[in-house]
Amino acid sequence: MANQQATIAVAAPRPLISRHTREILANYAYLLPAAICLGGTVLFPILKAMHMSLYHHVLIRPQDYRFIGLGNYVRMVQDPTFWLTLKNSFIWVFWSVSLQFFFGFLMALLLNGQFKGRAIFRTINLLPWIIPGVVVALIWEYIYQPNYGPLNDLLRRVGWMREPVAWLSDPGLAMPAVVLTNIWRGIPFFAIMILAGLQAIPDEIYEAATVDGAGVIQRFWSVTLPMLRPIIVVATATRIIWTFNYADLIFVMTSGGPANATQITSTYTLLQAYSDLDFGYAATLSVILLVIMLVFTALYLKLTKGVESVAG
Amino acid sequence: MKTRGLGDPLERFLGGPVLWTGLVLATLFALGPFFWVFLASVKTRVELYATPITYIPVHPTFQNYVDAWTSRLTPFSRFFANSLWVSSVTMVATIVISTLAGYALARFRFVGKNTLMLVFLATQMFPAVLLIAPLLSQWHALGLIDTYQALIYSNFSFTVPFTVWMLVGYFESIPRELEESAMIDGSGRFGALLRIIVPLAAPGIAATAIFAFVSSWSELLFAVTFTSQTEMRTLSAGLLYMVGQYEIQWGQLGAGVMISTIPVAILFTFLQKHLIRGLTAGALKG
Repeated sequence: MANQQATIAVAAPRPLISRHTREILANYAYLLPAAICLGGTVLFPILKAMHMSLYHHVLIRPQDYRFIGLGNYVRMVQDPTFWLTLKNSFIWVFWSVSLQFFFGFLMALLLNGQFKGRAIFRTINLLPWIIPGVVVALIWEYIYQPNYGPLNDLLRRVGWMREPVAWLSDPGLAMPAVVLTNIWRGIPFFAIMILAGLQAIPDEIYEAATVDGAGVIQRFWSVTLPMLRPIIVVATATRIIWTFNYADLIFVMTSGGPANATQITSTYTLLQAYSDLDFGYAATLSVILLVIMLVFTALYLKLTKGVESVAG
Repeated sequence: MKTRGLGDPLERFLGGPVLWTGLVLATLFALGPFFWVFLASVKTRVELYATPITYIPVHPTFQNYVDAWTSRLTPFSRFFANSLWVSSVTMVATIVISTLAGYALARFRFVGKNTLMLVFLATQMFPAVLLIAPLLSQWHALGLIDTYQALIYSNFSFTVPFTVWMLVGYFESIPRELEESAMIDGSGRFGALLRIIVPLAAPGIAATAIFAFVSSWSELLFAVTFTSQTEMRTLSAGLLYMVGQYEIQWGQLGAGVMISTIPVAILFTFLQKHLIRGLTAGALKG
């Protein structure tokens, strides 16, 4: 204490930690809780999974547990089902996200309108997104049910169908059926995000554009879309990633069947871990999923120049 | 807003017939499947399996709800309480953690900030499917199997990255000048965050709160893996467990579906007001 007083009295030289450094440390403190959370529940498990992918690790055969280097990766490249799941994943993501975006955007524009009772309409139309995935899967399983499901019944009543169709057991229909379910679920996600973006656009800009003689379509292209771009970039990128990894719906509805017709890479990974208890191979598939998504994100952000507007 | 486009017939057409047709179609599509399951939940066993299909139950009954709520094998009252607790704690903790991190990333200069943002995005991509095996051994080692903590901590793995990523966007849309003037007026950095930024970003924070609650409420894979006792199951895990227990009983399942949906619907209606309000409208005018 005496020392310190003396120091201050003399000339108040630089403290041990400069003000600038202290500020930087204080700034990092804001990130600390998030860092601890993600370190414990994401980063450490990821590293562990990478480690697991180098081992032959089938849970029910602990005596076979051994280091096999890249053996799981070799197996994956030679696994025709893996390549099929990649193709299925592409179909699943492309149709799900593009149609969710299109209809979600339309719904956001509708819900942004001025009309009576719009709060009720908003709540109702956002409902499919707020209910649990397992519930969505069960609702649609019931709708698609061949004998006492309403879809077949309605199609027969309007005369578009003669024989009942087993939507989820037909290899050609199962994928469209699960994609339709996923679209139903995902439209509100885009609607809620784009609606938040629409609400953030100040009325003044629209008024100025109207004064300048811009019609409703012109205002949409020159005001609405550019102002929404950051939120569209974030929402779309996130949705593609989620859809690619989203296993719950297909897992509950078809378990990837019939004959792998709806098997996407994430459900394949899930089933490797659950049904086959092959954690080594499941970890390998997941590492590849991560690499694919990292490459995709880098490309996406570069193409849309989203890095400056979103992360800059 | 009201005076806009009075002389524009296209706008009147879009705001009139097109708007209402769109709303009706969207509502039918959104609500139809849900309504069907609600009807099933009040049907008797005979009506559930009748041919041709009975759409409107002649003898509506709430027996399915009573059965589901009080069932010993699949006690929905217990599942409901579990889901409520896990989702609420996850939501509150996520908001505190993500507001701090989102604000820091939106305002401060860090070495490698863009890399850090990419890490936040990347953490969302890592499939929950893969986290299950390493997390299972981790929770097992810590003695957290069949505890709420295991589910809440695991939920952070998907709620925190997404909410941080979203909040950065909201915070960046708020002009820096607002909090800088507050800091000149004597507020500290943290005070400015609480008094200026948080109220302005309330719609964004509300949206992320809804997200955290709803996604925790919906979480299935962690809930199934990290719990083994029936009394620790959440609603999602309980519904799946119910399907596995019997031949699918659509009446009780329908009741379970309604029970799972009502609380999130109420919360959502309540928070919607915050969502609708413009993020920056007040800031620019004030």
